[in-house]
Amino acid sequence: MITQVENPVLEIHDLTVSYDQTPVLWNVDFSLPAGKLIGILGPNGAGKSTLIKAIMGLISPTSGYVKIFDKPLNDVRARISYVPQRESVDWNFPASVLDVVLMGTYGKLGLFKRPGKKEKDLALECLEQVGMSGFVKRQISELSGGQQQRVFIARALAQQADLYLMDEPFAGVDMATETAIFQLLRDMAASGKTVLVVHHDIHSAMNFFDWVIMLNLHLVASGPKELVMTEDLLRKTYGGKLNLLTKVTDLISKKEFNPLKS
Amino acid sequence: MIFDSNAFLIIFTGALIAISCGFLGVFMMLRKMSMTGDAISHAVLPGIVIGYFVSGSQRSLEVIIGAGLLGILATLMIEGLRKKAKVQLDASIGITFTLLFAIGIILINLFAYKVDLDQECVLYGEIAYLPIDLWITKSGLNLGPRVTWLAILNFLFVVGFIYLLFKELILTSFDEGFSSVMGIPAKGINLALMSMVSYTTVSSFESVGAILVVALLVVPPATAFLWSKSLMPLLRLTAALGILIAVLGYYLAYWLDSSIAGMMVTVAGGFFLISALIKGKKPSWLKGTTKVESPLGI
Repeated sequence: MITQVENPVLEIHDLTVSYDQTPVLWNVDFSLPAGKLIGILGPNGAGKSTLIKAIMGLISPTSGYVKIFDKPLNDVRARISYVPQRESVDWNFPASVLDVVLMGTYGKLGLFKRPGKKEKDLALECLEQVGMSGFVKRQISELSGGQQQRVFIARALAQQADLYLMDEPFAGVDMATETAIFQLLRDMAASGKTVLVVHHDIHSAMNFFDWVIMLNLHLVASGPKELVMTEDLLRKTYGGKLNLLTKVTDLISKKEFNPLKS
Repeated sequence: MIFDSNAFLIIFTGALIAISCGFLGVFMMLRKMSMTGDAISHAVLPGIVIGYFVSGSQRSLEVIIGAGLLGILATLMIEGLRKKAKVQLDASIGITFTLLFAIGIILINLFAYKVDLDQECVLYGEIAYLPIDLWITKSGLNLGPRVTWLAILNFLFVVGFIYLLFKELILTSFDEGFSSVMGIPAKGINLALMSMVSYTTVSSFESVGAILVVALLVVPPATAFLWSKSLMPLLRLTAALGILIAVLGYYLAYWLDSSIAGMMVTVAGGFFLISALIKGKKPSWLKGTTKVESPLGI
């Protein structure tokens, strides 16, 4: 169940990625439309983060290619933004919240130039969008997990990109914050940006995403939520994890969400 | 206690070297690469010998270039062993610098009859000889101690390097993946930093030697990090510590009639110990979530 689109924002062709001869992604091939909030779902070890890293050029694929805005990655770096997993950095680093958000503006500044007032105003605006205005001067070592995550999202916003790739931005974030951030991402999608999110929670995925990619080493599905969120495809994605699947089925029936009937 | 022009020159040079090393050390520490600095300071030995052999002089550009190249080679070897051969970082540092250092010792032994160079000279250095080693131009003009000029030049390069690449250094230290995605060459910045460390190490050899230069790379930044959690105060405090250990190191060495460089590092170690005791003893509720205080009124 793979829906290909015309004029894709992101096109991935026959992508295979391996670590030490062990393939972790097999023949992934899909294309994504602009202005959508897109979720990547799959069990642990399904290659979700690997897919994001391959798109960003942090891992070189064994075969296949990635095209963003119909161009190779190097031509469009200024138009993409990346939110890495929170654990990927050392939060004891001596920097303030503002310092970290300002890093988002470095790409457009170029070598040797320092961020000025314009960049600072932009960073403050981005912090306000994620509700962190009160923490501008705070050292990042003194933030909670959820606050760190919001700082990372603010930094991505400061990149002013057209395509956002977020690796588990909701890990360790409470429900209220998650809903607020999802609302922010929806607004971004509505204004024409494309937001790609690696996500764990199938429940909230059903509520928030427009488009869903299901991954389990190979691509199970990619398409509009209404077409892809079926029991059959979820079973294919999550394999033999029956317990989980029963829960999902319960969830689907509880919400009377059955796209096959509609 | 005397303070004459010689004392001033030695303290001034010592402080410049300590500050240059400290500034680079701060970024090495932020990258969790302090021990890579150690590795580089030893691994440059073969480069020095080859440069020395090629030029026939201990004070030539070839020596600095040779050392710089070996420093980069050491960095690449460490990275290569870690990424390609999947050796742990500490093990790959240990393998790389001992190997290169051993090659350096063999080279010294092979060429020792041709050049005036021995392990002692590279390993220890002596800042006290600085006032008698003058830079005299061909026309006979006395421009003052050569080592001081080297230290000034090195200091200017280090400060210029950090000033120009400040945001790149911070970003690549904090989040390498993110900087690569932005197109900022994290590997290039890393190699540039390592080259600066190699150059600084070589430039400081004659004054403090290969072993003690490591202490200046690691100890002042580590001490400053105990007191401060933000970058600018961290750099300022490192600089202040550099000056302080040069002054105290000189007078303690004068008083005990001992090695100045050795005393500088001992003083630095003393500062670290005191800082660790003060910061470690403080009950957690006193540390709190307050902003950075400015220790020593800096």
